[in-house]
Amino acid sequence: MSVLFVIVVTALALAIVVARRRTAAVALVAVQSVALGVYALVHGFGESSAFLVGGVLLVGKGILLPLGLAWLVRRTREPRLIAGELPPLTRVTVAAAITLAAVALIPSLGLDSRAADQGAVALVVLGVVIAVLRRSAVFQAVGFLVAENGVYLAALAAPGGLPAIVEIGVLFDLVIVVAVAAAFTRRIHDEFGTGDTTVLGSLRD
Amino acid sequence: MTEALVIAAPACALLTGAATWLARTARQADLLNSAGAVLTALLTLALAGIALTDASHPRHGAWWMLDAAGGVFLAVIAVIGLLSALVAPSQLASSGRGLVRAARGRGMYYAAYHTFWAALIVVPLVDNLGLAWLLVEATTGASALLVAYSGTRGALEAGWKYLVLTTFGLAIAMLGIIVLYVAIAPGDGTLGTLDWQSIARAAPGLRGGPAVVAFVLIVAGLATKVGWAPVHNWLPDAHSEAPPPVSALLSAALLPTVVLVTWRVLIALGPALTPGTASALVLAFGLVSLAVAVPFLWRSMAWKRLLAYSSLEHMGILAVGIGFATPLATAGVVVHVAGHALAKSLGFYAAAPLLRHAPRAHDRAVRGLAFANPSTAGAVGVSLGALAAMPPSPLFISELLILLGGVAAHEIAVTVAAALLLALGFLGLAQALVDGLVGEPRVRRWRSGRSGVRMRRLTLVCGTLLLALTAVACLLPGSGVVTHLMAGIA
Repeated sequence: MSVLFVIVVTALALAIVVARRRTAAVALVAVQSVALGVYALVHGFGESSAFLVGGVLLVGKGILLPLGLAWLVRRTREPRLIAGELPPLTRVTVAAAITLAAVALIPSLGLDSRAADQGAVALVVLGVVIAVLRRSAVFQAVGFLVAENGVYLAALAAPGGLPAIVEIGVLFDLVIVVAVAAAFTRRIHDEFGTGDTTVLGSLRD
Repeated sequence: MTEALVIAAPACALLTGAATWLARTARQADLLNSAGAVLTALLTLALAGIALTDASHPRHGAWWMLDAAGGVFLAVIAVIGLLSALVAPSQLASSGRGLVRAARGRGMYYAAYHTFWAALIVVPLVDNLGLAWLLVEATTGASALLVAYSGTRGALEAGWKYLVLTTFGLAIAMLGIIVLYVAIAPGDGTLGTLDWQSIARAAPGLRGGPAVVAFVLIVAGLATKVGWAPVHNWLPDAHSEAPPPVSALLSAALLPTVVLVTWRVLIALGPALTPGTASALVLAFGLVSLAVAVPFLWRSMAWKRLLAYSSLEHMGILAVGIGFATPLATAGVVVHVAGHALAKSLGFYAAAPLLRHAPRAHDRAVRGLAFANPSTAGAVGVSLGALAAMPPSPLFISELLILLGGVAAHEIAVTVAAALLLALGFLGLAQALVDGLVGEPRVRRWRSGRSGVRMRRLTLVCGTLLLALTAVACLLPGSGVVTHLMAGIA
């Protein structure tokens, strides 16, 4: 896996950290998923089943899930941008620092290149960072997709690829989780009038 | 025959879920739920019976296996799943506005419940780490909906927190599984590469970085789903906000089932690491969980939150037990899984009438329950007494076995630390028991009628099973079953 490709998909995740609007975050993760899907098809393993699996994943993660999230954004309009988050420069600095630290500390994962090792770890870490730094429920759902794209990148860089049933199973589980997250987001929005997850802070000991 | 049961048990749960979803009335849904639950439990118990009566001959299929360890967990999942399904109609009756429209609420609850139960039944049966991950992840969506079923703000918060934390945790575990897959079979792996036995066969040749990274990522990721500290933040909220039957299934079946997956990873992959490294990570999770739980057991807590922190404590004990990995500790783990399941689920079932008649018990500790309602007080007393490991609770025997197992493993420092934390936890729960039953009453007396009869029956069933388990616990150490359980993997 080329260094340039890894840099591009990681940069897209970093862009989500600083994106102001939810629609922009959804579009960015869609582009990232499509990039990974196209990579899977182009660098396929020469087997029709692998091509089919790659196609299903491309449609599912690159098109259907982002469309679902875009629909969710339309159905849960925010009266204003969710305020109070860290400034964009601070967010990206924190995200980059945490990601660089994780990438530097992680030993070899045995994938097809060191860049792939680092890219997979970077995306999983950035997925978590997005969920922590961004308060909107939609951003946190986008964080799921970014982290899962990190897992997908690792699968693409695994010599021989992963078994098809695991790849499709992971996609199925992801669809369920995102659908449930969307149901929660709508209900949270109905109940509180906003998708800002900081309103969910009543349960403490 | 066995293969037919392996398919029939989860299929029955799934079909029951679909049928209840399509039911036209709440009464139809209740009847279908009860009938389907009885059949699912019987099929699952038959599997457990096959596994435990002939423990020396594990059975294998194309994608499944049935061994002694799986048999124990299947029995627990069957019993708790059945009890939670049977008590659901009465415990859901008082629910108000829910997560979905009231007309669909009951059907949605049963559909999600039986889907969740079906996934739980298959986890101990699958002979593959990748498939086990898929099933554990599959429990997340259905169980998150169930946690938020009441639709209250607290339930939404708890469900969201559970969904977010466990999803990210499992993504990390999947990254570890990919690393393991590549390490075992670089370039020519198949689904069978992740079979438990394949991992165990390959482990001794896997020495080095990728094996350590894979183990740490998988165990740390699964820890979020078990609710081991310090990645347990969702656990107290989800257990306290979910409907009581769901809290019971989460605490008594889901958490131990994920512990089983971790246990199998430890046994299969542990030999790839420097001796002691793998168990040290699990022991660390166990001790940290105990240390985090104990201070909360000393505080004056609302009933369901007290039970939730008790779950954290007991998952910590299980981690310590599987970390010791000696025959005594293994016998203790098995007894503990079953005893904790019965005692904890009874406690959660008692929460339904308690919260219906004393809603403030949702937010603050219950006191003087013996004066308010003897039926509920009986259930609370049996539950908390057993969870505190007061003799003749089987948890007293299991904790003793685990600690003796620690001595046998020459893990003296860990054993002493665990014993101290368990003693402190006992004192906290004993105080809660005394205050809860005979403290200055905070709740008004209520007449329970039919629900009181149901609660007394439940208490009798769970109490009898707990005593039977105590007898089994005394016979288990040194038996052949433990030898087969020690294998952990067929």
